[in-house]
Amino acid sequence: MSEIVLETKDLTKYYGATPALDHLDLQIPRGSICGFLGRNGAGKTTAIKMMLGLLHPTAGSAALLGCDSAALTPAVRQRIGYVTEGHRLFRWMSIAKLERFQRAFFPEQWDDRFFGDMIEYFELSKKQKIKHLSNGQRAQVSLALALAPNPELLIMDDPTLGLDAAIRRQFLEGMIELITRQGRTVLFSSHILADVERVADRVVVVDRGRLRADCSLETFRASVRKVIAKFPNTAPSEAQIEGLLHCRHSERQLEMTLVDVGDAEVADWARQAGAEGYEFIEMNLEDQFIEFTAPPNHRRLFQWEEVE
Amino acid sequence: MRFLALLRKELRESLPWLLLAGLLLLGVGLLRLGPLNRFSTVEYWQYTNGLTPGETVDPHRLLRPGLLRWPGLWLAWMAPALGLILGVRHFWMPLFTRTWSFLLHRSAARPTILWAKLTAATAGLVLSLGASWTFLYWYARRPEVFPIPESAKALASGWIYIALGLVIYLGTAVSALSTARWYTTRIFGLAFAAVATLFILSLWNLTWIITLTILTLAILLSQTIAAFLDREF
Repeated sequence: MSEIVLETKDLTKYYGATPALDHLDLQIPRGSICGFLGRNGAGKTTAIKMMLGLLHPTAGSAALLGCDSAALTPAVRQRIGYVTEGHRLFRWMSIAKLERFQRAFFPEQWDDRFFGDMIEYFELSKKQKIKHLSNGQRAQVSLALALAPNPELLIMDDPTLGLDAAIRRQFLEGMIELITRQGRTVLFSSHILADVERVADRVVVVDRGRLRADCSLETFRASVRKVIAKFPNTAPSEAQIEGLLHCRHSERQLEMTLVDVGDAEVADWARQAGAEGYEFIEMNLEDQFIEFTAPPNHRRLFQWEEVE
Repeated sequence: MRFLALLRKELRESLPWLLLAGLLLLGVGLLRLGPLNRFSTVEYWQYTNGLTPGETVDPHRLLRPGLLRWPGLWLAWMAPALGLILGVRHFWMPLFTRTWSFLLHRSAARPTILWAKLTAATAGLVLSLGASWTFLYWYARRPEVFPIPESAKALASGWIYIALGLVIYLGTAVSALSTARWYTTRIFGLAFAAVATLFILSLWNLTWIITLTILTLAILLSQTIAAFLDREF
């Protein structure tokens, strides 16, 4: 098994009586590009901040590159790139000043040429001040600053949030630039599932503070499925099948979201339930994620009264 | 190298305030002292002590310090005000601009980051107000310019005001680093620093003034270190 570069054991955080993260167990091997997914308030930022030692866990622990997060030494931090949520940089600095500031912390690793190339690629000038940059441009500077020291592990907290499609594409290409460097590991949280699908090879899903999935992207894509079964008469309101996440029924149809249920099991269930037929519905990652993390009793936002 | 980068950043962020404070004190002082060196001895004492020509002068009145009294009053409020501004700039603003995470993930230990801030504040107070005050003292103590030069006590009192600026700075840091609510314990750091400053300003005995200033600084420094090293960001 390849080396584990990021590990959490029972990582837990409570704010008062409210659990923000509940016993998160993760093991990210070297070379993974891991999409860290979850709805707003699921605990992604809390988990990332605890991994980086910026928050203290209520219980459990985290380790990056073999070093306990609570005691990350400067030497270990040097090997970890971090892109903060919202790309908060020192507004009064120009890109050149920020580069000089950042370079001081990576005296041996800093790649001047790479940073310059990235700034040029993003069509920015080093004379520009951070306060005059758009959100997207700040994101680009943030990525260039994180990548120029050639980190072994890159952690990004919702790096593409609020960026338009073109900037996002550029940002991802910058990220892929890092990925192509051998042995680099990336953990990035995102709400843009298309981005995750494009670059990640592994997904971690947290939901209301709890780990719901930690597997390869292919496994996740293959595991979450939607089935629509048709019935000759009235469809049952519930389905008894292991791995059922949600089901919705209309008059003669039953729509089910299933996890880790094979074709044979679905066929057996359909026969027993008296369905006259069923079909698997193609879902993209976003649909799968929404179904996977929807609360069990989730309802439509608006429920229109049917008019006879 | 890391410490210097951090120190440069903190000093650069505070530079406009440091320049403003230093130049303001210098301006106020020179405006006060400038016209005086044109007077004769008698005219000078008439000017500073409100004497009228022909009035008998009590020799003890001649020993009263006076030249730096007015700039000293300015320094007495400017140093705590600058301390407050630097405290806000160093510890509060990053909470609003959310730059703590970026700063704390640099490859520098937390104590290094804190010491860079404390050094920048101390150096800032010393280089702006301290340098201006020392220049004013030097200007006021030249016997060839002023009949009765200013005493060294005036220089010391100015430096105590500057130390009180550091007291307010640390009090602001303790309050900014607290995660409690304002109406509970969060205000304690700043309130303690303010009360201590007012109390020290009300004292006359130099030994007590120096002792209490050092004690207050030590208390607030230990609180700042404890709060910063343990705080969640």
